[in-house]
Amino acid sequence: MFNSRQVLRRLSTGVACAAIILSTASPAATPVVISPAPDNVAVTIYRAPNRSLGGAMDTDWLEGYALITEKRTIDLPAGPATIRFEGVAGGMLPESSIARGLPAGIREKNLDADLLSPGNLYARSLGRPVIVRRQHAKSGKTTEERGIIRSGPEGSVLLQTREGFEAANCGPLNETLVYSRLPEGLSARPTLSIETEAPSAAKVTISLSYLAWGFDWQANYVVRMREGGKRADLAAWVTLASSDPMSFVDADTAVVGGEVNREDDDPYDGGRAEELSFHCFFTPVSVPALAMAAPSDGIGEIVVTAMKRAELKVDAPVMVTAEGLGDLKLYHVPVRTTVASNAQKQVAMFEKRNIKVAIVYTADVYDGGPANVRLTLRTQNKKEDGLGIALPAGPFAVFEPLRNEQMLIGEGGIRDSAIGQQVEAVIAAPTQVRVQGNDITASEDVKRGRWRDFELSVSNANRWPITFEGDLHVNDDEKVERTSARMIQKNGRPLWKAQVPANSIATLRYRVTQIEAE
Amino acid sequence: MRNLALGIVLGLAGPSVAQAQSAQGDLAVTIYNNDLALIQDTRTLNLAAGRSRVEFPDVSAQIRPETVTLSATGAGIVEQNFDYDLLSPDKLMDKAVGQTVTVVRVNPATGAETRETAQVLANNGGTIVRIGDRIEVLGNYGARVVFPSLPPNLRANPTLSVTLNTTSGGSRPVTLNYLSRGFGWKADYVALFDEQAGKIDVQGWITLTNNSGTTFRNAKTLLVAGAVGQANGSNYGSMQQQTRGPSGNRPGTERSDRERLGDFYVYPIAGRTTIANAQQKQVSFLDVAGVPAAKGYFFRNDWLGRQDDPISCDTVLRFSASREGGLGDALPAGIIRVYMRDARGQPQFIGENGIDHTPMGSTLAVKTGEAFDVKVQPTVEKRERINTDEWEQSSRYRVTERGKTSEVIIDRTKTYWRTSMSYKITNARPQTVSVEVVQGGLDNWWHDTRVPNESIKGSQRSADERVWMVTVPANGETVLTAQFDTRY
Repeated sequence: MFNSRQVLRRLSTGVACAAIILSTASPAATPVVISPAPDNVAVTIYRAPNRSLGGAMDTDWLEGYALITEKRTIDLPAGPATIRFEGVAGGMLPESSIARGLPAGIREKNLDADLLSPGNLYARSLGRPVIVRRQHAKSGKTTEERGIIRSGPEGSVLLQTREGFEAANCGPLNETLVYSRLPEGLSARPTLSIETEAPSAAKVTISLSYLAWGFDWQANYVVRMREGGKRADLAAWVTLASSDPMSFVDADTAVVGGEVNREDDDPYDGGRAEELSFHCFFTPVSVPALAMAAPSDGIGEIVVTAMKRAELKVDAPVMVTAEGLGDLKLYHVPVRTTVASNAQKQVAMFEKRNIKVAIVYTADVYDGGPANVRLTLRTQNKKEDGLGIALPAGPFAVFEPLRNEQMLIGEGGIRDSAIGQQVEAVIAAPTQVRVQGNDITASEDVKRGRWRDFELSVSNANRWPITFEGDLHVNDDEKVERTSARMIQKNGRPLWKAQVPANSIATLRYRVTQIEAE
Repeated sequence: MRNLALGIVLGLAGPSVAQAQSAQGDLAVTIYNNDLALIQDTRTLNLAAGRSRVEFPDVSAQIRPETVTLSATGAGIVEQNFDYDLLSPDKLMDKAVGQTVTVVRVNPATGAETRETAQVLANNGGTIVRIGDRIEVLGNYGARVVFPSLPPNLRANPTLSVTLNTTSGGSRPVTLNYLSRGFGWKADYVALFDEQAGKIDVQGWITLTNNSGTTFRNAKTLLVAGAVGQANGSNYGSMQQQTRGPSGNRPGTERSDRERLGDFYVYPIAGRTTIANAQQKQVSFLDVAGVPAAKGYFFRNDWLGRQDDPISCDTVLRFSASREGGLGDALPAGIIRVYMRDARGQPQFIGENGIDHTPMGSTLAVKTGEAFDVKVQPTVEKRERINTDEWEQSSRYRVTERGKTSEVIIDRTKTYWRTSMSYKITNARPQTVSVEVVQGGLDNWWHDTRVPNESIKGSQRSADERVWMVTVPANGETVLTAQFDTRY
């Protein structure tokens, strides 16, 4: 049943890792060159689009992606040949693949996703002999019989045996099908191949790059407040994660900050693995597929390069280097590192000491209040304030010393922040600062204009003074007048900025007037 | 020995195991963009003289049987049938009513088999058989049932058959034409952008997919850039006021040298190719280098749009598809992926966008992403109500009193809202940038909007949108202010 061609194929694949298989039986067949794995690989990870502010990565469902660039060395025969690439990322988007470095052009690129599955194996064996193995449930006795498949997979399993026609697995016996050979054109996993035509045989190094789903990264910021609350140290980390089944060993790794436009392509589903279900006369009996991929149970390993967060020192041994990439930011890990399958990794991004920060209590006030107060950490992204570095979006954790220990006082997140921009992170809902609002009077005489008077008060129960900022929101046809304190105009709205002394109350009176025609 | 051999084959799962013989003949496949393909399959068949029934296996599993046409010399079609009544265990039992089957029982203890002949009386929610002089209901798993034959008209797979009336017998080519679902194609473009040189290198790939369930071997393949049969879409979209993207998208009027089919360009694949089932195939159709391209920034603000945090401008790549200074080709719809080299010279992905079918000569402006360092913060600084000295006529009527007619006209002053906007544009890049800022929502069906003040001279792109080109110095900011008088 098996001819010498297959034996030859097996021998030649065993000889070299990038072997050429000469298929001599059919004149149309082109030699197949298998490239089993890349020599080296570069992985550039992009953030998931539309991630929430300060939200953590969902390591079970990473929606970012990566550009993977692989260098592969292959022995190319003269004339037409098919190069099969194995060991590519499982989340590969095949239409994005680019191959460079081939001596001649690429005739075509193919991604074959007709997978070897129970359903496909059955469908392709229609009209062919199989062996029916029958096992008796109690005695465990097994008998084998030859049969021919007579139905398609839609209908389900009907066999012709020596005795006649019967439905498999429909009697008292446990029946399975044993196939004697594989149908053509089914592959174990989706496989990328390239048809090429080289003028002469050569050893070539080609660079294969493609986008793949199932990666993500974020910046993580750790702020350690100094005594007094006016200065802080900021440490930033790059946290990257991969849920791809493939591990990229010793990869040249980088991450890209900024928003990259993506078309809403569905992640490639990796080909359809069809099950084969045995239908009986009465009720269908489903048999689970034999070769199902093991379900991923999330992240199996978390690796922190450099040091653990708590032990961070000023001079982290490895820090990413930053560069501009068009209008994006590229952060490159200077040492080769392994982007492991289902794992997360952290590399230090930068450390800035003694930056100028402000803790501000802020509130949005609608209709005179009351309002929820937010504890906001604010800094200017400027060199003179100790910062002045592009900050990619990510969560913020703020620590404050208490009895010689760093205690977490708040968590928040920032968007992508360019140099020169004000950086603000809402880190907590304070308990000791409250905002109360009262309606005092309203106009009764409609002819002389509609207005309402409000009184807004901020109470500070802390033993230290605070800075409060109340953002007064009014409708487009209203304006704020007769304020009892000087207001700042910010974002087109009046802003009340007040220093509230320890254990005291600050009050603002103002009038909201309907705008009338002059 | 067999197990060993099976192991070898499993280990390889290579491309050329057990070559299956397909009944397909000489194939020509024309693939459209919209889940459609025209398949021409010329088979050599030996037809008997007179009336004969011919089956056509290995047609597409997603064939649209109503579109089948068949042509053969000296043969006329009596009828075409597409049988999709599939063979399954319950249908087999249904069709066995009244027939004799063999019931094989197994003794669970000994494993010994006993065979009995049974007549199927009925199969209505349970199979009732007569065995000798007993009548029993066959339990679900009590026995194996062996059928003597398969019923006619039930098939393993949907089958196309044609009954022909042939004048003379003999071998001849028979051509089968049909439409099939499960096919599609699009273009994928790879653009490497060199910002310093202001040039892009573009490769175009045609990506075709076959999910029809059937492999087509050695087919002449032709791709048509267009969706046929979908012209009945409504014009609902034209009722909305259009919001446009960055300027620079203009359809071209040049004619490409490519072959055409009616209004559509066709892209033949050189040579013959095998379109395997569940395969995604890419073929190159465009490769140009050094095409001029420029990067720009774009921001569009909706009416009364305001932001408390600055937001990033869109990064826009502009280039042309003209013969002169452009890609020099018509571009089928697809996705352009843009790459740029990083400091070490390695190409990195910077964004992608979809384009529609684009005639040659068009200019394109595609958003690739958002700029990290170029941001805009739009603010509604003030809204105030103003009365103008203008009068508008609100009503006019006639009064007739004792045969005398007088006319009454009522005028009133127009009331406008004056909106003062500011747009703070910041640039943290070391170069001066130019940002295209668009304010939308200026028409709102009133056709009565004025711009009394603006700090930079803008231009009205349409009744609804005003555009300013704002130059922002390196590591600096520019504040654009504008006032709009609207009736709303």
